[in-house]
Amino acid sequence: MRIDSRRRAEQARRHGARLAALSLLLTVGVAIGAEPSEWLERMNKALTTRNYIGVFTHNHGGRVETLRIIHRVRGGDVSERLLSLDGPGREFIRQGDEVTCYFPDKKTVLVERRAPDGPLLGALPALGENDSHVYEIRGGERERLLGRTTRVVALQPRDEYRYGYRLWIDEQTSMPLKTQLCGASGEVLEQIVFSNIDLPERIPDSMFKPQVDASTYRWLRADRQLALNSTPALWEAMKLPAGFRMQMRSVQALPGSSEPATHLVFTDGVASVSVFVEPRKPDMKSEEGPVRMGSSSAFTTVTDGHQITAVGEVPPNTVQFIATQVKAIPKGATQGLGIAPAPPRK
Amino acid sequence: MNEERQNERDSQLSAMFDGELSAAECELLARRLSKDEALRGQWSRYSMIGAALRAERGVKLHDRVAIRVQAQISQEVIYGDATAADSAVMARPALTAGEARGGVTDRWMRFARPVFGVSIAAGVAAASILWLRNQESPEILAANPVPQTVTLAPEATGTVAVSPAPIEVTERVISNGEPERYTTPVPNSSTSIAPPARLANYVVAHSEYSSPLTRRMALLGLVASDGSGVPAEDTAASDQRPEDRTQVNAH
Repeated sequence: MRIDSRRRAEQARRHGARLAALSLLLTVGVAIGAEPSEWLERMNKALTTRNYIGVFTHNHGGRVETLRIIHRVRGGDVSERLLSLDGPGREFIRQGDEVTCYFPDKKTVLVERRAPDGPLLGALPALGENDSHVYEIRGGERERLLGRTTRVVALQPRDEYRYGYRLWIDEQTSMPLKTQLCGASGEVLEQIVFSNIDLPERIPDSMFKPQVDASTYRWLRADRQLALNSTPALWEAMKLPAGFRMQMRSVQALPGSSEPATHLVFTDGVASVSVFVEPRKPDMKSEEGPVRMGSSSAFTTVTDGHQITAVGEVPPNTVQFIATQVKAIPKGATQGLGIAPAPPRK
Repeated sequence: MNEERQNERDSQLSAMFDGELSAAECELLARRLSKDEALRGQWSRYSMIGAALRAERGVKLHDRVAIRVQAQISQEVIYGDATAADSAVMARPALTAGEARGGVTDRWMRFARPVFGVSIAAGVAAASILWLRNQESPEILAANPVPQTVTLAPEATGTVAVSPAPIEVTERVISNGEPERYTTPVPNSSTSIAPPARLANYVVAHSEYSSPLTRRMALLGLVASDGSGVPAEDTAASDQRPEDRTQVNAH
């Protein structure tokens, strides 16, 4: 009797193991047969839902820098830490709705809070059907990278209003092990290559503490009450580059500013552009024109007594186009949103 | 006697890492490195220690790395080999940057090249190691919550300066018809205005609404230590009322 019981238990265990193996094979089978766009979706999901700790090299403009990223999702709460391992060791840390940037080289800390009505970080827009009009998604071929099997997916822009991406997505984990930001002609503008990624089940809170003692630094904090007590002004883009649509309109308090900014966000599903509209004060320094920060472009202009700045991971002509198209909407007027014709490809 | 000689070489290696060794002594040391296996091993360890020191606390060195480094050295990796795949992507900018550095002479580079070769080998070996430990049991994680894997960036990447010339990045041809060679352009200086704190604020606020793919790129512009994105003292305070100015954290 005892022997029969043990045998049944053993058979059940083997049956369970077979089912698990079959399930795994089916899962792998689906992954292997996935389309390039499915790999992108898997990658987006992995980036937003997984815990990971990785070290990567960042190549931009002839410079190579090593950075560490720590990402944790716990009960819908996203924590993130990005730390430069070279140079002065700048850090970006997000915990809850607060983001903090440490600049040891300037002994300064910036503290911002997410807009009260902003979307959850894990619920960001993904590629939609219409995005195929502005990006061509190609690839999906296997390629070995650093001892791992990856799928190479290319997001090629169809016009010059956005950058392209080439991604080496790990077949097993869907994490992008290598990312290239490309210009319209395919030239590599920026590259990220991971040398190490861990995907732990848990990441302790201690991993999100800054490595510098910033108690004597100058702290610039956003006044959250400014945003809570304000409503976004009616500003709108009269025209947008093809594929871009408004994602969000909000009020954003910025560190060191006594006036809240109206914050508009436009996206094409991959790239996004933020527009900040602030009342122009007489003592405000003139910052009109283009600015670059890494792969981000910014353009500032002045309209109707307001300073308008567009910022995004897009080419300079895109932020300039959008910034100059943002206008105040008179009360009672209907919103007229046109679509800009795409410029010819070079 | 041997101990004294060893100490002297250690000091020389250390000085070379710190850029304090004269050109003549660099030449001698480079020759010794090409002949002395033990000295090369010491150089590799110095390279890894440097990488570990730049990394955060808690990073440990791994014996396998040293073994892989030695294997790479024995294969005599040629510095700047454009036919190598990803190793070339890492190695080439370092050479260009090294050449671009004003205080480094051609002569120094000639003798330092074999030394860099060792360093690059260390980098190649380290970069070729990729651990993905997503299958760890909860028990192991509970006992060891902080990852202990070795994480060594290629040594040549740590001290790279801005290169004045475009960097050629060689890629393998992929079957979707992508071009074989790409050029990473030098940033256009006409639009690289030193951004004030205001821009840093904008980028941080914007990053919260970027897609997962582009958000990291946006933040990299902020965190990268190339001098951009730094909140300048004057501009950060200039737009504030006195009562809104600098708040020193009281924690």
